[in-house]
Amino acid sequence: MPPSLTSPSPPAAAALLDTRYRVETPEGIDLTLRPAGLVPRALAFSVDLAIRGVFLLLVYLGLSLLGQFGMGLAAVLLFLVTWWYMVLFEVLNQGRSPGKQLLGLRVVHDDGTPIGWPASLTRNLLRFVDLLPFAYTFGLLSCLYHPHFKRLGDIAAGTLVVYRDLPPARPNLPEAQPQQAPFALSLAEQRALLGFAERAEGLSAARRAELAGLLAEPLDLPPEQAERHLHGIARGLLGPTP
Amino acid sequence: MRLTDASVAIRPRTAWEALDLGVLLARRHAGLLIASWALLSLPVFALLCLLLWDHPGWALFAFWWLKPAFERLPLYILSRSLFAEPPTLGQAMRALPGVLRPQLLASLTWRRLSLTRSFDLPVLQLEGLSGQARAQRLVVLGQRETRFATWLTVVGVHVEMALWLGLGSLFYMLLPAQLELDWNWQRLLEAAEGDWLWLEHLSNLVYVLPLMLWEPVYVACGFTLYLNRRTALEAWDIELVFRRLRQRLTGSAYALLLGLGLSLTLLPMAPPALAESSEVIAPEAPRLLKQPLTSEASRQSIEALLDAPPFEHRETLTRWRLGDDQEQASESDPETAKNWLERLLQLRDGWQHLGTLALIFEALLWAAVLALIGLLLWRYRQWLHLFASRLRPPSPVRRDAPTQLFGLDVAPERLPDDIAAEAERLWREQPRAALGLLYRALLSRLLHQHHLPLTSAHTEGEVLEQVAQFKRDDLNAFSQILTRHWQAAAYGNRLPPQNACADLCAGWRQLFPAGAAR
Repeated sequence: MPPSLTSPSPPAAAALLDTRYRVETPEGIDLTLRPAGLVPRALAFSVDLAIRGVFLLLVYLGLSLLGQFGMGLAAVLLFLVTWWYMVLFEVLNQGRSPGKQLLGLRVVHDDGTPIGWPASLTRNLLRFVDLLPFAYTFGLLSCLYHPHFKRLGDIAAGTLVVYRDLPPARPNLPEAQPQQAPFALSLAEQRALLGFAERAEGLSAARRAELAGLLAEPLDLPPEQAERHLHGIARGLLGPTP
Repeated sequence: MRLTDASVAIRPRTAWEALDLGVLLARRHAGLLIASWALLSLPVFALLCLLLWDHPGWALFAFWWLKPAFERLPLYILSRSLFAEPPTLGQAMRALPGVLRPQLLASLTWRRLSLTRSFDLPVLQLEGLSGQARAQRLVVLGQRETRFATWLTVVGVHVEMALWLGLGSLFYMLLPAQLELDWNWQRLLEAAEGDWLWLEHLSNLVYVLPLMLWEPVYVACGFTLYLNRRTALEAWDIELVFRRLRQRLTGSAYALLLGLGLSLTLLPMAPPALAESSEVIAPEAPRLLKQPLTSEASRQSIEALLDAPPFEHRETLTRWRLGDDQEQASESDPETAKNWLERLLQLRDGWQHLGTLALIFEALLWAAVLALIGLLLWRYRQWLHLFASRLRPPSPVRRDAPTQLFGLDVAPERLPDDIAAEAERLWREQPRAALGLLYRALLSRLLHQHHLPLTSAHTEGEVLEQVAQFKRDDLNAFSQILTRHWQAAAYGNRLPPQNACADLCAGWRQLFPAGAAR
């Protein structure tokens, strides 16, 4: 449902609060991104931190057998892992470090394009600023304050951490005779009708009847038949299914 | 609660997105939330500090333990502001006793360490459930959301710690260098055990201050998680759209009734529904709003372009309009009519002069037109000559027959009258000249008698091919024999046998009887 297009009551219409982030392509197509906030990002960072910690610990244990040479190698490795872990994963793995992959996140540019070397380097080098004065204080505050949950590095690099879009599962509509809606339906209304049929299993029977009863009067039906009729309209909207 | 009045976009979200929405919600009402939270908690903190001045650690612990009590007011404000205008600070503080009372003891004792505190609070406070009903409700609501509420609390603990440490170290960094020389961390730690109580209380304050930011966010996140769960369970988003659809359809039905003139008293009810149905994006609707060139700007510039000369031809004509003036003069009041009449007379005199002037100009213009036509004709005379001649019926082709072929003179005037006799005469001394004469004569006849279109570029063989097209066997045969003999004589210097002369001359006479040649 595109909330900005509907207008429930004049004063609140412009300011409907939503987490979505719209990118308009030059062709006039709206891409909808869903920026990820503090909690999933913090968890993703913890996962990455833990992975790096365990890896470095194992490497350190292994290299300590080699004496001073091993310590030198470990120092080099520490540098690489600290500064390049995020960059390499983000650029080479579609903006996903292992932690972000686990949490269903990815990093993209502000305009939704895949992140490249400059942006990834900037945002990860500026991690140092987010760390100030201690334990990511600035990053936390920035993430809480920014409307799209950016930390300072994200603002500088023009990047955005968004939820990945998972391929939608095929909806399972209740069996009904396909019907044509007796009135013209806008896109939002068609979606709502389809959503009603798709989510019918998750709703209680009483709630389904209540919702369908809302449209009984416009449909010129007794309330008991409205639900079945709505399922029929949803079937009609969906079209033939294999 | 009216869903159509909601100030957030109601749609089913993932649980993580619901938490993010909480951050945005807290951010929108940040001022009110922070102020109300500070107004309630800071006095309590001050009181605790005074009471437990000797035990700063216990003071902080007590404050921390009381946190659930402080969370009720932010939730009240958030829930009120979701479907209506947010309450003022005064209203919120007046509502405080009412929201604090229910189940406060439980919240502060055995439920204090619950990790899903933020998610459970709306059930308790907004739905007013307790005991068995509350537990059942939580089971229904918290099937999946419990995990996310737990993560929220875990992250929240770390955020609090991070902010505490961050603010503390910022404070330490900002100390002047002279002071810092005397202090170091070891000494600070030692001091913490001694009589530096005020420093510990300061540290406690540094913990409490960031909570002003984080506690409203925490409450808001739990609230939106709860909202999201109810949206999914009860299909709020679908209800919202269905209600609007119903309003639209029944509203238009009212309008129909009005149109039939059944009742005029319904008038104020009709209009609002129809306005909402215009959400379909028309081609003229403003689009591309975030681009450097918006659809509006481009439309305006297109219109400006179409208004400009190549597309829109506008002329301002200023000319004499005597007739209108006369009518106006006759309509005007009688006092000025006389003046008008005089002026008109003057104008008419002027017009007569102008008439002769116009005649001259007309003549000049016609002269100019004629001159232009003449100029054009002269300018394109070659072109006219070239293409106008084509328009005539094609005249019979008068091709100038060549007078020479392969260096042979074929003009009929230069040939003797009786070719065969001349050839026989020549044969005895100069057979080659006789053959040449015969061949020249043949070519000449072909050119002038048979109108064969020969040019100097043709070879002997090509001449034969053209002759063959006449389909005359005798001429064809004679030409072939003569050409072969001629070629043999001319190029190979091999003279034909003696009897060939007689054959050739006979053939000639047969083909071109004397007298018929011309």
